[in-house]
Amino acid sequence: MRLINQRLSPPALLALKLAPFVLLIVAYLAGSAARLTDNPADKLLPALSSMATAIDLMAFTPDRRTGEYLLWTDTAASLQRLGAGLGISTALALVLGIAIGIFPAIRALLGPFVGFVAMVPPLALLPVLFIMLGLGEISKIALIVIGIAPIMIRDMAQRVLDLPREQIVKAETLSANSWLVVWRVVLPQVLPRLIVSLRLQLGAAFLFLIAAEAISSDSGLGYRIFLVRRYLSMDIIFPYVAWITFLAAMADYGLDRLRRWLFPWSEMEVGK
Amino acid sequence: MTALTITNLWKEYGDQIVLENISIDIAPRSFVALVGASGCGKTTLLRLLLGQEQPTRGTILLDDAPLPTEPGPDRGVVYQRYSVFPHLTVLGNVMLGPEMAGSRVWGRLTGARKSALQDRARAMIADVGLAGAEGKYPAQLSGGMQQRLALAQALMMQPRVLLLDEPFGALDPGIRADIHALMQRLWHALPMTVVMVTHDLREAFTLGTRIVALERTRIRPEEIARYGAQIGKDIAIWPPRVAGGGTIYDNPALRDDPALDTLIAGRPDSIERH
Amino acid sequence: MTLSFKNKTLPLLAIIGASFLAAPVAAQEKTEFNVAWSIYVGWMPWGYAEDTGIVDRWADQYGITINVTQFNDYVESINQYTAGAYDAVTVTNMDALSIPAAGGVDTTAVIVGDFSAGNDAVFLKGGESIADIVGRPVNLVEFSVSHYLLARALDSVGLSERDVNVINTADPDMVGAFQTADVTAMVTWNPMVAEIAMLPDAVQVFDSSMIPGEIIDLMVANTEVLDANPDFGRALAGIWYETVTLMTSDTPEGAEARAAMGAASGTDQAGFEAQMAATELFADPAAAVAFTASADLADTMNLVRAFLFDKGLLTPTATSDNAIGIELPGGTVLGDADNIKLRFTTDYMQMAADGAL
Repeated sequence: MRLINQRLSPPALLALKLAPFVLLIVAYLAGSAARLTDNPADKLLPALSSMATAIDLMAFTPDRRTGEYLLWTDTAASLQRLGAGLGISTALALVLGIAIGIFPAIRALLGPFVGFVAMVPPLALLPVLFIMLGLGEISKIALIVIGIAPIMIRDMAQRVLDLPREQIVKAETLSANSWLVVWRVVLPQVLPRLIVSLRLQLGAAFLFLIAAEAISSDSGLGYRIFLVRRYLSMDIIFPYVAWITFLAAMADYGLDRLRRWLFPWSEMEVGK
Repeated sequence: MTALTITNLWKEYGDQIVLENISIDIAPRSFVALVGASGCGKTTLLRLLLGQEQPTRGTILLDDAPLPTEPGPDRGVVYQRYSVFPHLTVLGNVMLGPEMAGSRVWGRLTGARKSALQDRARAMIADVGLAGAEGKYPAQLSGGMQQRLALAQALMMQPRVLLLDEPFGALDPGIRADIHALMQRLWHALPMTVVMVTHDLREAFTLGTRIVALERTRIRPEEIARYGAQIGKDIAIWPPRVAGGGTIYDNPALRDDPALDTLIAGRPDSIERH
Repeated sequence: MTLSFKNKTLPLLAIIGASFLAAPVAAQEKTEFNVAWSIYVGWMPWGYAEDTGIVDRWADQYGITINVTQFNDYVESINQYTAGAYDAVTVTNMDALSIPAAGGVDTTAVIVGDFSAGNDAVFLKGGESIADIVGRPVNLVEFSVSHYLLARALDSVGLSERDVNVINTADPDMVGAFQTADVTAMVTWNPMVAEIAMLPDAVQVFDSSMIPGEIIDLMVANTEVLDANPDFGRALAGIWYETVTLMTSDTPEGAEARAAMGAASGTDQAGFEAQMAATELFADPAAAVAFTASADLADTMNLVRAFLFDKGLLTPTATSDNAIGIELPGGTVLGDADNIKLRFTTDYMQMAADGAL
């Protein structure tokens, strides 16, 4: 039988799905054990027990200096920045994306400009941002917005342009004015795509958040990772990375459920 | 009553002439079937009637007034695809037009106006044979049901002209026969002029009162761009069908005439009585 | 079946696991050594020595090979050393204790090169003395020598870190950051100190010349590697003192060396000489030996380990600042004598002083 037609039993499927994870964990444990035999205080590949200690220290023990539970303070700080950045980007994408997609004048005015801005590498702008907007929260949020909003705006605009022209004309024959075309025809149809677009940008948003926090901050997940990197505390970095991955995965899953719940029709359209 | 008058109409895209000097009068309550080969400009003519595109030269009059330069509620349309909105249920699709006409800001009616509209929409849905599917989304409907829905949606606006762009081209033959019957019934019942683009001659003869064929007469490669399509044939169906009244074939005395069978082979719906 | 899985697969995985990360340095005699350094006034001689063949000459003399690698990121160079990819690295006394030593890598300071005497400074906007820092956000690289300098500065006027709000800021962004409105206090090091000092609203209220000898720049090596290969230490000392003798000499060759090091660190000869003026460079090995052997070093390291313990940097589980042992010349041990991870030695500098290399 050709490989492309291979039929796998459910246990085999499960085993294949788990294999890379298991392999990674086993390789880690083996590497860690090898290094720890050599140097019991090795920080590069700490044992799971040291990570557990670190997690306990970061998440469930108040910090000696501030009395705060660092993991949760960091998470709250990062999620606030992320939420603000994503929120602003989403709002911009919705308003500008639809406007660019549907109004020829705004498309002429902003289409090429947004396309240009989307090509600017945001991290290269970081020093400029910090000098213009200061080292506070604004510049961190601005970095996220600059990083992901242009891409989301373009995606939205393209999605509007991809709507069959027939639908727009049909709406006009149903007495819609420009606003009603946007409000009753375009907006509801691009909202599910907006959520998809947001999901796709989550990774980038985290990247920009962590980059901004690495430059200047006093709390946040990225701040902590870059801080403890200074003394090679992989026992803290690994759990933080896992936690960020978990948060991103949950946000991704949650947004997808939200889309299905709000826009049941969008699921039916898939595959048509 | 609504008459369409097209006079010396040219449509060019750059150097490409698509329609060349088209003139035609369409009487009120006609059912004109526009036929012709692919790419001969049928759909372009329909878009001009819709107001979606503007003629390069010539005029289109709707009841002696120039046609508005953009689509509007006086001209309804049903396309082969994309005629209904995937994000609205059947009921939502049918209510959309009157809702937007009645509420220019939110596009939604409330209270008594809403329930009155709902009643009217449900009646229309039942009329096109979709009763029971009010809560479904278009993706849950078959192709034939989607076109019924598109008709219902367009007719809620009571358009004076209904433009059909190969509306039944993608349907299976059996379903197409059913929807032809529906189409004919609606045309009889509602005060509108219908222009239908089709590449299916049988469909044209089944439904139309008049068949207009667009043709390119000069088709040598060097001529194609410089000469557009013209009206090649313009056939009035005989004996004439009359909107609201059926045709003389509805006369039982003539129904058994064997000559009739060849003309309407396989189309029992064309002699449906109202 | 199970047995063969255990026998073959686990070691294989161990090899895979260990090989995608740097393998630990094996403590045995060898002939090829890797040295990492990063750009800082007190370490520029290493780059110059590599470029001008001084490194190769000394390596050849001892029949070994020394690869000198420049890092753009100081912390990364130390992390790479700690992970075992390098045998020696340029580092400060504080970071040597908090990163490799706290990471279990037994580390020996082969060369005490210089100490900061003004290269690190505290700046305020609109203030006259360090006491005016109270209540302000302070931008600095957290857990770096800047943080230590701040702690010492606050201590000098009876304040503590609770009286300010530390904001971790990346060192390349310091100069730009100081020019934004919400930054009013900053601690950093050269060359940023020189840049910031030129800004109109910057007031320098404290610097490392007020705590002389506490921020020390070292060349450290893995103790096991060094013990197994003393020639490596000798070569390092030979390279170092030949180069610093050249760079501090008032000759055309000396000026040329300073100009080259200035260019390599992004400034010019004059700028580099200004940074040298804020650095107490031990060009004379005997002076370095005297500094390293003095009792002051014990006091300094006591302050440093207390600071690191307070910040939780002497391993997270440390219960006191005695967690890690520091061996001083003459055999004195600060902290846990059973867990000595940082050693100061005068051996190699003494050889240079005696001309015994």
